[in-house]
Amino acid sequence: MDLKTGLVGSGSSVSRELDLVIAGGGPAALAAALYAARYDIDHIVLESYQPGGQAALTAVIENYPGIKSITGGDIVAAMKEQAESWGAVFEMASVLSAEPLKDMIQIKADSSTYMTRNLIIATGAAPAKLGVPGEDKYYGRGVSYCATCDAPFFRNARVLVVGGGDSAVKEALHLSEFVSELVLIHRRDKFRAEPYLAKKLLSCGNCTVLWNTTLKEIKGDESVESAVLNTPEGEKEMKFDGVFMYVGRKPATEPFANLVELNDNGTVRTHNIVHTSRENVFAAGDVTDNDLRQIVTAVSDGARAASAVFDKLQ
Amino acid sequence: MGILSDSDAAEVTKIFGALVRDVHVKVYTQKLECPTCTDTETILRELDGLSERLKVSFLNPQTDSEDARKDGVERVPAIIVSDGTHCRVKFYGTPSGYEFSSLLTTIIDTGGSEEPLTEGTIQFLKDLDTDLEMQVFVTPTCPHCPAAAVLASRMARYSSRVRSEVIEANEFPELSRKFKVQGVPRTIVNGVFYAEGSLSETMMTDALKKGLADDPSIETNLLDYLRHN
Repeated sequence: MDLKTGLVGSGSSVSRELDLVIAGGGPAALAAALYAARYDIDHIVLESYQPGGQAALTAVIENYPGIKSITGGDIVAAMKEQAESWGAVFEMASVLSAEPLKDMIQIKADSSTYMTRNLIIATGAAPAKLGVPGEDKYYGRGVSYCATCDAPFFRNARVLVVGGGDSAVKEALHLSEFVSELVLIHRRDKFRAEPYLAKKLLSCGNCTVLWNTTLKEIKGDESVESAVLNTPEGEKEMKFDGVFMYVGRKPATEPFANLVELNDNGTVRTHNIVHTSRENVFAAGDVTDNDLRQIVTAVSDGARAASAVFDKLQ
Repeated sequence: MGILSDSDAAEVTKIFGALVRDVHVKVYTQKLECPTCTDTETILRELDGLSERLKVSFLNPQTDSEDARKDGVERVPAIIVSDGTHCRVKFYGTPSGYEFSSLLTTIIDTGGSEEPLTEGTIQFLKDLDTDLEMQVFVTPTCPHCPAAAVLASRMARYSSRVRSEVIEANEFPELSRKFKVQGVPRTIVNGVFYAEGSLSETMMTDALKKGLADDPSIETNLLDYLRHN
């Protein structure tokens, strides 16, 4: 039986001054925390209320070098445990705003304020919404963004998965083990997902892929009952008990909008991988405009950002 | 055969090193019509041996019916964590996966030396002039569930006005259906307020302040109180 031993963190009401604040709780933040602790930088990690970030929601990870197969939850738990063993300090807090104040940065979190000489933004991204009618109404009533969390509610049910990237295909494969029938729709005529994953889905016995198809509306009463699809043959309403959305990610950069330059899509504009428009602010992982968004690149960013802070402090 | 691996037991023993006070854990299980009771009992028996601070007692709701009535136990397996003076913090279902993490955290919150709640939440609880019944539906595979489960447990641990029940949604399908649970974590307060996902302490208390003042007669999303202001 799988037993997770990682404790849930707590917030703080104490305000303080530090050399480094790391905002985020996913692989980029955890790698930055490990390196910051080993560099003996006076730091704190402000871990959000969704610890582990998106990585924690991934059912299986098979492309992290050196580890053949591991769940997302286990890899981030191992990363956190390793960082803590070197002295990384975590607090559970959501960053509400970050403003420059002389040569420092003032960070306001839920219940405390921090003044820091340096900041690493590693707040990751949240699942993007498609914005179709019914999506908000049926969230938690059949609409889900987390197959790892919610798959058991759809045992022997009929579900729709929306998307064609790695997340959509990976989570569809996880869901297919629970449901009786799975339909995946993708707006293009081929997957963006890794060919290995795509092949696996195309050979899955209870899965059907509808190409060039988009979601128009989610319908139901108390919970999801059907979805209206735009298919090459025209509009079609199909019965579903659940709809899982994997249509991209929205970077969690709102609190930093007055601090560093952002791109139109909300990502932090970076140069030299982790440097931002402000000298003492760095960015790492999915929050940046770097092209590859994987755990392996996120941890690399986190290490680079912590190293850059260390160099600055010398 | 045991459930905790050697490495789990070593890790938990290390975690329990933070206990400075006794923690009382009551475990209600029964042999009949409870497929998950045996595992729950085994896990708690194994935990029991890992710290002298942990005082675990095992009860049966049939034979210990008076205790079950006083403790307000409505289903099994049930686990109650306290300092021995109350029965406000309950877990229904096997503490496996991420629910094990919620249970461990609640044990440390109860017997540790630090107050985990922030000043704002403590003030909210001190100002409460009404009772709160918090139910948090979770699954063992949901990494975001412990934050929601632990927040409710912490609030109930602190205030005699609050009761929390963390419910493993898969093990109690009828209850899940009754409360329309199709996604986790789902927190329900006083049967009328609900929240999907895990809310921060500030969000939860701000929304509850506004919600309690509003006193709606229909089911209301707590996040609506934050969006409208």
